[in-house]
Amino acid sequence: MEHEELLRKLEGLQTIETAAKTLGMRKQSALNLLSRLKKEGYVTTTGGGRQKRLYKITMRKQLPRAPGMFDILNKYNPNFKLNPWFDHQVHGKYTVEDALLDAIETKSFRAILACLRLFDQITDWKVLYHGGKERKLWNQVGALYDIARLTSKTKKMPMKYYHPSVLGRRISLIPPWETKEDRFKGIENRWGVAIPFKEGDLRKGAS
Amino acid sequence: MITRQDQLDLFRIISENISQDVGCYAFGGTAMMFYGYKDETKDIDLLFKTSKERGIFIEALIKLGFVETSPIFFYIPEKLKDRSKPLMFKRGDIRFDLFAGKIFRTLLSPKMEEDKYAVHDFKGKYNLRITILKTEQIVLLKAITERQNDIDDIKAILSKDKNFNWQYAVDEAVWQHEHGDSWVLIDLEKTIRELRKYVFIEEKYLKQIYAAQDGKKKR
Repeated sequence: MEHEELLRKLEGLQTIETAAKTLGMRKQSALNLLSRLKKEGYVTTTGGGRQKRLYKITMRKQLPRAPGMFDILNKYNPNFKLNPWFDHQVHGKYTVEDALLDAIETKSFRAILACLRLFDQITDWKVLYHGGKERKLWNQVGALYDIARLTSKTKKMPMKYYHPSVLGRRISLIPPWETKEDRFKGIENRWGVAIPFKEGDLRKGAS
Repeated sequence: MITRQDQLDLFRIISENISQDVGCYAFGGTAMMFYGYKDETKDIDLLFKTSKERGIFIEALIKLGFVETSPIFFYIPEKLKDRSKPLMFKRGDIRFDLFAGKIFRTLLSPKMEEDKYAVHDFKGKYNLRITILKTEQIVLLKAITERQNDIDDIKAILSKDKNFNWQYAVDEAVWQHEHGDSWVLIDLEKTIRELRKYVFIEEKYLKQIYAAQDGKKKR
């Protein structure tokens, strides 16, 4: 049987028994075949030991990934997980501070909501401040920091950074969304950033 | 030939040699390697938004010992007359085809920018951001560049991607046509005709191409 045809028949999740049945061969032969496909990169396995071993088989090679923004957002957000709409990978040093700035840059509601949880993980405020200023995102970072503090435990931002970097201009986190809730008005005015959230969003996402 | 690991290493080294953050779009064999469709490629095809960004990338290539080479042996003469032909740089077996703003007459469309498949950031001294286009865009661009093995690459994509969306590809070609690319529909039609010998592609897509071509002529 040709390589491609084999993969097409097996594509999806399989156990050794279902793979053997699909291909009409003995279990040992199926095991040998899956082992070969695994070496070539078409198969990854999960389970084993007490759990049933599952084989994930795809038509194209399953390449090793470098973690990116979505991996960090999902790692630190216990309330909801994002389903990435593109595969973000970073080759080199990638920190929580970078992920926070990248999340703001997406202008995606869910990514920005998820990034509120990152404030508790910030260790290098200096890097975040300079990165934010360079990418013209510091006002947004400050506003989100204040929102994060309303709903969850976060590390405290050093006072020397606690000020907007751009003055006299109103920035929208996600244009044209703007809150009408009074609770956020103070934060909006302090940072000059229009907040897209409602109370209910924060309860669901960040608490 | 350039392997996937070579490619990753090369981008990492380039990110150490660029003088500011640079972003570009990968298509062709490069993008196919990021998908896992193939293991090696002859060249690295990149599209930059501006000539300035391409210039910064080229400076880094020159630092690494790459020299400019002629595209004459790689593209058909008709395409080489175009102002937006690529700048090509070579070192040993490794070749870069670098486009700026356009791939021949094909623009970097809003859909190309929005509907990305992946973003790879190479963080060296500065950030080199490589955006991988969707398979439909890759197929369309392969139809346009018309190089040796392009049809085989398209066949490889189609055989492995069961969710390939021909409607998306044709719509994009029509958009390009409406924005000044007079070759794209002809190239795509030729490619679909060739592919129909091997894979099933509905007739309606060809009809849409002919209708779009006629529409332009009438106007």
